[in-house]
Amino acid sequence: MAGHLVSLKLALLRNGLRRSNWPQQVALALGALAGLPLAFGGFLLLALVPRAEPEAGLLLVEVVFLALFLGWGLFPLLSFAGDASLDPSRLALLPLRPRQLVAGLSLAACVGVAPLCTLVALGGAVVGFGTLGPGVVLVVAAVLVQFLLCIVGSRALLTALSRQLRSRKARDLVIVLVSVTALAFNLALQVGARLAERLERADLEALRPAARVLGWLPTGLAARALVDAGEGRLLPAMAELAGAALAVALLGWWWWRSLDRVLTTAEPAARQRSRQPAGLFPRSLRRLLPGDQRGAVAAKELRYLARHPRLRVAWMVSCLLGLALVVFVALTEGLQRPWVVLGSLAMAFLASQNSLNQFGFDGAAYWTHVAAGADPRGDLIGRNLASAVTGMVTTTALALVLAAVTGGWLYVPVALCLGLGVLALSLGVADVVSVRFAYPLPDDASNLWAVQGTGQGCLVGIVQMVAFAAQGVLLLPLVALVVVGLVWWTPALVLACPLAVVYGWFLWRVGLGVGTEWLTGHQPELLAALSVRRAA
Amino acid sequence: MVAGSSAALSVRGLRKAFGAKVAVAGINLEIPHGCFFGLVGPNGAGKTTTLGMVTGLLRPDAGLVLIDGVEVWRDPVEAKRRIGVLPEDLRLFDRLTGAELLTYNGLLRGMPAAVVEARAGELLEVLGLADAAGTLVVDYSHGMRKKIALASALLHAPRVLFLDEPFEAIDPVSARTIRGLLERYTAGGATVIFSSHVMELVQRLCDRVGIMHLGQLIAEGPTEQVRAGRSLEDAFVELVGASHAGAEELGWLGTWSA
Ligand SMILES: Nc1ncnc2c1ncn2[C@@H]1O[C@H](COP(=O)(O)OP(=O)(O)OP(=O)(O)O)[C@@H](O)[C@H]1O
Ligand SMILES: [Mg+2]
Repeated sequence: MAGHLVSLKLALLRNGLRRSNWPQQVALALGALAGLPLAFGGFLLLALVPRAEPEAGLLLVEVVFLALFLGWGLFPLLSFAGDASLDPSRLALLPLRPRQLVAGLSLAACVGVAPLCTLVALGGAVVGFGTLGPGVVLVVAAVLVQFLLCIVGSRALLTALSRQLRSRKARDLVIVLVSVTALAFNLALQVGARLAERLERADLEALRPAARVLGWLPTGLAARALVDAGEGRLLPAMAELAGAALAVALLGWWWWRSLDRVLTTAEPAARQRSRQPAGLFPRSLRRLLPGDQRGAVAAKELRYLARHPRLRVAWMVSCLLGLALVVFVALTEGLQRPWVVLGSLAMAFLASQNSLNQFGFDGAAYWTHVAAGADPRGDLIGRNLASAVTGMVTTTALALVLAAVTGGWLYVPVALCLGLGVLALSLGVADVVSVRFAYPLPDDASNLWAVQGTGQGCLVGIVQMVAFAAQGVLLLPLVALVVVGLVWWTPALVLACPLAVVYGWFLWRVGLGVGTEWLTGHQPELLAALSVRRAA
Repeated sequence: MVAGSSAALSVRGLRKAFGAKVAVAGINLEIPHGCFFGLVGPNGAGKTTTLGMVTGLLRPDAGLVLIDGVEVWRDPVEAKRRIGVLPEDLRLFDRLTGAELLTYNGLLRGMPAAVVEARAGELLEVLGLADAAGTLVVDYSHGMRKKIALASALLHAPRVLFLDEPFEAIDPVSARTIRGLLERYTAGGATVIFSSHVMELVQRLCDRVGIMHLGQLIAEGPTEQVRAGRSLEDAFVELVGASHAGAEELGWLGTWSA
């Protein structure tokens, strides 16, 4: 029975490797690439530091054990939707008892890349603390108990939450959390590294109380058992080990109970909370958007921006990038120059990049437009309108904040005019590219990094590069004018404002015309490009 | 251009191949106005492909499609004004609420906003979706998705309605509502063309049926004539030729495991 589940897991791993297309394989390779350094880094940390700095040893082990435990708790939650072997309800139809399942799932959970990396990292502790003599048995036992804590704890949490995790709202939320967590993790690493540099020996004393608190957590008990066993205090080590093992047993019991509940009780019907029908148009934009097809398309795009997790993440990330720019400017000596306000143009450009595949998000749902015989020109204008609104809002916001930081208020109108020009020009290019080289984006929101297997990943990359280059070339005259204005002759900046708007407008009209002309009569072809059959 | 054609739908030599696979192998069909037409056939017969080509969603390799005398592939905008579509795989803009989706569809078709609002409200009411009008379509059940898609197809009061498996995954009460609605609709002179696997329903509802098999229309005509005294299901099985494989091979199905 357990053997079956282990081989199921292996088969899933194998199939995941074989059947996936190259972006997924790249992602897997990247995962392994990230996992291996972490594993060996952990190994070296645990193996070397205790010998070199005995005082720091206990605290270090406590922190690492806790981090591992939390990582194991968090990470599967984030990948829940993508990993079939994590969802216990998928096994509900098999004639198994929870006890059998717990045993089998535990074994299956020990198979995989992540458990392997964890074991490698924990192996460092055996090297770091192992002694000759009977203590070594306890050292190994402590490491194994810590490993079990991670696995059983993670499974128990996952099972207990599995029902909630399968709801759409939770999955949407998780996707946003993943991205924010990734960014936050990065930030925490940087800050942590800075702090670690400053950590003096004297500060270790100050951290003692923290170590004492951590020491009473189950992971702390395992850590203390490890250190005590390594230093030959066998009796306390045994007591602490027993405590940690008890925690494993409790977690196992919780897991078993949750599993029983998930497998034997019916899924409660999803409650549908109905919001007041607000109409298609966001209230704030009712005035701004035309009440026809163009407005409808723009309103739908904006609604999606607010409601689809992928798009939410996209704009959150660009907001964070803007914020990072502000922080960078504020903290860097000599960057508080007025012209830095023009940096807000990056927002306008960023906002237009999604438009290069502006039909991709519709995917097969685009049939609605084809069946309705929607006017291609109105369709494109609506999409451009939505991009323009978001682009101008973010550009304005960033320009104002940068002006507040640098005092370059005079540059705000310049930035807005140039931003409008940049947006219009980029959208013109996008209108041509997006109708000719559309590809579906995965509608399934579960995996943020999934790329639909269109078998044309390479072509897509090339097209995007070419479009990017075209936008760059078309931007050159504006860039030249701005450089002239900043370096030699300031009035050139004033001149650049109306020129940018007119130039952008002109190029947008050209792009829109070309895009419309092709799309008229080719809507079915666009639909075919957007609805890739899954098993073709 | 065949002006003054009295047929709601007329199809000549319609053909479509996907690579080497011929999905629709040259179909001729004439459906009069006010007809309730049922298209049946085994899985993979080419029903969805045919409906896609007839409604202007999938470009045919060859053939002519006239809706109400308008050539679909020459004057798509005019033709699409006259038709409503419910496709088989219900990919919708599902991050909109039901009410928003209807408004969106109406505005895409260039209808006045006020008319859209009024009709959308009525349709939601009739189809029992009024309570879910403010819920995102992504949270709808399969049957609810089908109903909201049907509402979108009816919104502009098309003369010809194409429905791909409208009754699958619909509860009996809703099915009866939809049936009544469609019957009233055809009585008013509109034409409904739908595909289904529920023979009994097709037999009861349709004036005419077409049976597709391997990309060809192997029988077509008034329901009575196609049935020729048998039930439609018997006629279907006879015409398509039930494969007898499986009956003996799966003998172990009768041996219960302990
Ligand atoms: N986009 C496509 N690419 C390749 N083959 C396709 C495509 N669409 C349909 N086919 C093939 O054409 C044939 C007819 O398919 P179609 O979907 O029209 O059948 P159907 O009668 O609607 O079947 P069902 O009753 O299962 O809905 C099938 O063999 C199918 O595999
Ligand atoms: Mg079909």
